[in-house]
Order: sequence, then C-alpha cells, then structure tokens
Amino acid sequence: MNTLAELLKEIRPEFDFTASRDFLADGMLDSFDMVTLVATLDKTYGISIEGVDIVPEHFQNLDTIAGLLRKYGVAGA
Amino acid sequence: MNNPISGLARASPMHLVESVSEVGAAVNRAKQGSLAYCSNFFPVTRNLENWITHRELFLQERDGVSFFFRKDRDFLHLYFCAASLALLQRAIANSPTLGSEPVVLDLVGKESALGELLGLFEGAGFRIHNRLFRMARLVPSVPRPADKEANSRVAVADKSDGQPIVDLLLRSFDRHAEQIPMLYEIEAAVAAGQIWVVRDGGVLAGLLFHETQGLTSTLRYWLVAPQFRSQRFGSWLMHRYFEAHPVIRRFLLWVVAANTDAIGKYEHYGFAPEGLVDYVLANENILP
Repeated sequence: MNTLAELLKEIRPEFDFTASRDFLADGMLDSFDMVTLVATLDKTYGISIEGVDIVPEHFQNLDTIAGLLRKYGVAGA
Repeated sequence: MNNPISGLARASPMHLVESVSEVGAAVNRAKQGSLAYCSNFFPVTRNLENWITHRELFLQERDGVSFFFRKDRDFLHLYFCAASLALLQRAIANSPTLGSEPVVLDLVGKESALGELLGLFEGAGFRIHNRLFRMARLVPSVPRPADKEANSRVAVADKSDGQPIVDLLLRSFDRHAEQIPMLYEIEAAVAAGQIWVVRDGGVLAGLLFHETQGLTSTLRYWLVAPQFRSQRFGSWLMHRYFEAHPVIRRFLLWVVAANTDAIGKYEHYGFAPEGLVDYVLANENILP
C-alpha cells in the first residue's frame, strides 16, 4: 500500500510533501485537492471520512493526516 | 429582467445559512457512512464566511441530499453533497428550486470521471453551457528579469477602481461560467493588493487579478479592454505578475475551452493543460 506521502505525490507531483508543515499555507494543496485526497483516503483505506472532519486543520501536514486516519482506525499510515 | 430569486427562501423549502458549522453539519448528514459520496462542493472557509455574511448562501435538504444555493446577482450556483448518484438523481427530480429558478452548476474533475454526473444532470434538464479547463505553469525558483516599462505603467489597483473593475469583468466574461466577483470581493482583493491595473488617459484599460497562497498563485482574470489592445498592456501586466512572484512554483488558471486566442497567449507564457476540466451546466431558466 502507498504511504501517505506517495498518495499526496500522486495528487500534486510537483511538491515535496515531506518538507512542509502546512500544506495549505504553503500552497501545496487547495480545497479541490483536499476533497480529492479525502476520496483517495476513503478508497485506499476503506473508510468514510465525515464532513465535519473535512477541515483544514486535519490536512495541514503528514502528521495531522495520519492523526485523522487513526481516528478512523487506520494505524501506521 | 425582474429578479426571479428575490423571494427565494419564501418560495422554496430552503433556508438561509447562518454559520459555517451549519454547512459542515449538512455535508456530514449527506455523506454519513457513504463510500460512494459525490459532490461539487469544495468550500474555502473564507468564501463561506463572505457568502454567509452577505446572505447569499441557502441550504435545501431533499431525500438525504444537501443542496447549497449561492445567490449570484440574478441566478443561483448549485452545490450538491450526496451519498450516491442514485440519491442525487432522486433529489434533483424532487427539488422544486431546480425547476423554478435560474440555476448553474460546475462539475470539476478529470474528464474521464465526469460522464455519469453529466448524464445525470442532462437527464434532469440541464445543458452544457460552457466548458473550461485548468492550465498550469510549473517553474523553478528563479526570478525573472525586470521589465522597466511594465514596472512604470502597471499599478496596484486602488479603491476607486472597484466598480470599473466589476463593470469590465461583466462586459468581458461569461458571468454564468466565470464566477465574476461581487463588488465586495473586488474591494477586498484591491485592499489585499491582488489586482494590478494599466490605465490610459485615466481610464481602466486592463487588469490582472491573482490569488496567491504559499508556492501557488492562481491567475483569476487577465484582460485588456478591446479599445486598448495591441499596445502591450497585457504583456506588461503578465510580466509584472511573474516578476513579483519569484518564489512561486505553480501558476494556475482556468480558461474557456473555446477561447483559442486566450489559450494561445497562455501557452506563450508557459502554461499547459493539466487535466482538470470544469463543465458549467445551466437549467432551462438560464438563456443560452
């Protein structure tokens, strides 16, 4: 299974997601990318991220996304 | 024409949205537990706050689907959140607003992924009004050389430019397809230094409006009024834009697919299609 950084790289290949602590402030993800990422995470991990969780603070960096996934029972993403 | 949506909240079973959390809750209700969620709603919190403050955003829930309607002058933008295409299809058929009000919606994504949604809305009486695609210019972090002429003729827009900018945008673009900002949005962009202009004889001749966030900058509008073309005003604006953003790695824009003249100009500046398309659909209450 792809790592989180690899999944992000598929959405935005021009950026290095391991080098940023705030993807949104750094302009690496926009709102459309965020929804694309949610769909990718849902499909990859067989979960359904709820609407209330689709907020910027959950998509700031690799750690916050991993934290969101843990909430849905996905460990070690 | 009379404003057909002035009594919107009264005429239809929908209500004015009064908080961002209300939006999140409605999205959540529509999405709950679904692995086949479909939506064209990609809200930016700042935009949501503006729409709510200006009483432009309405919510209607039908058959488990959340429809958001954003009032834009004399028509509505439709955003939907549905747990599945089947639920969406049923809700569209049962929504009184979609049959009685002038409505447009955007379907954004990879061309290959939009077929089912397009068919669903066309089956419900919508037609393709326009098609746009996104272009990107990916650049290394190297500053461009300064263009002295551009620097001397291009100015940051000021408050007095607000209404002339709105008027020029409305004259120049497809208002149903190209998300023409309201005056309050232009005034905020002017205050934030996001709009550059070229004036000729005191008249607004051209403008460039961008939104920049971190390493990405989106070119929202770039135009020169017809009577001022072929005087390099457009070139000065673009050079000034690139020169002022030496660290940007990705420039983005949306362009109408049939506008070959504009596409050629963007290609000249290094933009290329990046695979996203935007189908703008309109119902029968929007005249072709």
